[in-house]
Amino acid sequence: MEGLKGMNIATGRHWSHLFSGALVLLAASAVLCLPVTAPAAQDCRFCHDEPLYRVDFNHSIHAGNGCTSCHVGITDIEKHRDGKEKPAPVNCGSCHEKIAKEYLSNFHYIQEDFRCSDCHRNIHAIRKNENKNVKLAIIEKCTECHGNEDYTASGHGEAVQKGNQDAAACSDCHGHHDTQVFHTSLEQYPAEAREFYTQKCKRCHADSAMMTRNNLSDKMVAYYEGTYHGKVQELGYPAPVAGCGDCHTKHNILPKEDPRSSIHPDNLETNCGRCHTGFHARFLSYQAHPDYTDRAKYPALYVTFLFMGALLVGTLAFFWVHTILWWRKVYWEHDRMEREGIVPPSAVATGEGLEQIERFSVKYRIMHVLLVLSFFTLVLTGFPLKYAGTEWAQAITRLWGGAHMSGLFHRGAAFILIVGMAYVSLESVRFLFPRGEGKKGWLGRLLGPDSLFPNLKDLQDFKGMIRWFFNKGEPPKFDRWTYWEKFDFLAVFWGMFAIGGSGILLWKPEWSSYLVPGWVMNIAALVHSEEALLAALFIFTIHFFNTHFIPNKFPMDRLIFTGTYRLEELKEQRPLEYERLMTEGRLESMKRGHPSIPLKLISATFGLGSLLLGLFLTVAILWSILFG
Amino acid sequence: MLVLFVALAACGKPAEAPPPWKLIDASTLRAMMASDKELLVFNTMSEIECLDHRIPGTKCLACEEIENDVTLLPADKDRVIVFYCESAGCYRSCRGAGAAVKAGYKQVHVLDRGMPAWKQSGYAMESIERIPRGSIQSVRASALKQMIAERKDLLLVDLRSEQSYREGHIEGAVNFPLYRLSRSYAKIPLDRILVLIDDQGFRTFLAGSYLEMKGYQVLRLFGGMQAWQEMQAKKQ
Repeated sequence: MEGLKGMNIATGRHWSHLFSGALVLLAASAVLCLPVTAPAAQDCRFCHDEPLYRVDFNHSIHAGNGCTSCHVGITDIEKHRDGKEKPAPVNCGSCHEKIAKEYLSNFHYIQEDFRCSDCHRNIHAIRKNENKNVKLAIIEKCTECHGNEDYTASGHGEAVQKGNQDAAACSDCHGHHDTQVFHTSLEQYPAEAREFYTQKCKRCHADSAMMTRNNLSDKMVAYYEGTYHGKVQELGYPAPVAGCGDCHTKHNILPKEDPRSSIHPDNLETNCGRCHTGFHARFLSYQAHPDYTDRAKYPALYVTFLFMGALLVGTLAFFWVHTILWWRKVYWEHDRMEREGIVPPSAVATGEGLEQIERFSVKYRIMHVLLVLSFFTLVLTGFPLKYAGTEWAQAITRLWGGAHMSGLFHRGAAFILIVGMAYVSLESVRFLFPRGEGKKGWLGRLLGPDSLFPNLKDLQDFKGMIRWFFNKGEPPKFDRWTYWEKFDFLAVFWGMFAIGGSGILLWKPEWSSYLVPGWVMNIAALVHSEEALLAALFIFTIHFFNTHFIPNKFPMDRLIFTGTYRLEELKEQRPLEYERLMTEGRLESMKRGHPSIPLKLISATFGLGSLLLGLFLTVAILWSILFG
Repeated sequence: MLVLFVALAACGKPAEAPPPWKLIDASTLRAMMASDKELLVFNTMSEIECLDHRIPGTKCLACEEIENDVTLLPADKDRVIVFYCESAGCYRSCRGAGAAVKAGYKQVHVLDRGMPAWKQSGYAMESIERIPRGSIQSVRASALKQMIAERKDLLLVDLRSEQSYREGHIEGAVNFPLYRLSRSYAKIPLDRILVLIDDQGFRTFLAGSYLEMKGYQVLRLFGGMQAWQEMQAKKQ
């Protein structure tokens, strides 16, 4: 390997100080590091008779190697003595191959052309010393040039000097023979450097055994990885977020009680201010390593964690049971009808029964499409951050064009959703207080059959469905909105309150600090993340199954996209609404033409595509929760 | 909508104009040198740095020397010439190449990412006059400012080019451009502690080791003039 030759100890004119009379030696055996017979060394010492070579070298770790193991290339001792034959540059890499390979990327080699002997100066006298404090020796060596007072004042430096072998010496962070070329002072490799050093910190600070014996928490890394900083870093985009060294500084790493520490309360404003600008002093109460389960230290976070957990588990458990029971009933019922040759009336509809009745106007269909698109964009940009360590998350983020672009799309989609929700809120107010009627009869409209607000009939319907699931009666007769549809609608409202509210706070946390203290950002992040998980799993495993995958709709119900369904289906699914339309004489006005082929094709493609994407994401999310 | 998203994400930056010389990588240069023993390859660092370590078989010619006197290059303007320097940014090799192109040389090449790329490829180096590395402490700009105020035994030695020195230097600093330091160092008094100043702090270590070898006591300014100017800007 040619590069190994680059590791010269003595080169050029300096070689001659070392030798002036050696015998002819077997160069080949020397290259192979075979011990050279003692007379050869004796012959060298005939001229090279300084105590270093006569005494110290014999006790050194290289004593067994003989002079010509390293100083190869002398074929004629006479010529060498006359200065006509010079030994080749010393190639330490011929024995220390691994180190030589690592050294090719060493900053000192690349930038300053350091060779082995520039650090290992007393190479002829190096001894093996089992009791040597290697870390201290490394610090002493590095600080010959890098007289870093910051480091010697830091927790690490002090601990090493006290004999703690766990504490980091220079080489533990910067590498030993592979010191990296990061011109951090020039900000040339900010991403690589941040990633490199953060990983170095994590390596020790996530080591349970090491942290426990040093009275430190081994969870700090995990807590950091749970925050926005940690997740973006884990996702593979360390450049725009704080790594360990950004807050704890590079060398002056001290506990926060120490006034010299960057994380001492008095220094936090400057510390956070290196990246964040325009914040209120309240911003500083943000916790960079929050522990949701620590009731004493973070009571508000703890309560939020419990509440969100209960909400998630409770809602999903309740609706999963509901869906499974429902699915079972419908499937069994289907099987019975199949065996008995019964065909549902909507399938054999004739005449008026075939006519299409409008359920969703164009406006609401477009709104649903926008909801689907913005929801998927939010999930596809948000969840990769939630499960940042997974392959699928990193692949999806790359598709977006990186974490920054992904964040822009997330905010763009959030904006569409917020505008949509504002519009629906306005529509709801208009529904309750229509022009001309004012407040009159609003309660009736709120609890009436066209309202999406739950009423007493929903409770009865729910009981009726449960009885039906267990074969204890007929299914209830529904009006325009079933209770699960109302839940879907209101869940989006609650979701927007929770996710949207927290999302707006997190949008620009510096500005939010003028409204709320920094620790509220921790709560907002938790709520945002957990509510998002609830929303996604609810849509993908409950809404999809209730509305599309239920056996009588499988694989999808295109109604929300085409807007119309058969009159016979209306009668079957929503008999009370049909009766109302008949009594009020509105049925005729609800009749529409059959949806066109392009509309049906687009609906099927978009609908099925969304369903499949949702299923894929469900698998990815559940996989990450269970095995991530 | 997805298509729009993808299109937005793919927006690129406008392309920069290509340089008037040819960039070659380390393996290409090695192959060229192997096939043409007469190939002219110039190391554009100072003589001190170049003799300390260079690509084997190449010549030392600092870019300032080329800029001052382009006749130092061979008379035949059709000859293939390659320039390289120490930094991955190739700033100095490009200055040399720029001067050559301006003087009418037609086949000018620059080693892409310079000597670091050569070393990282695992190719050998050669040392003609190797400087023993010293233990040279660096001082930060703020500390230096304080030292200047408190101590009288310091001599600030600005190693940058004459032009950079003229454009601005630390008060009291004397100019000994690194590219001809090997010829001029003897004029520096031996009874002072030298503080070496360069552009960004990368070149003072070897220069310091050289001067230490010559009997001087040396310190270096961490981060060079850039760090000094940043400190000054912050104070204002």
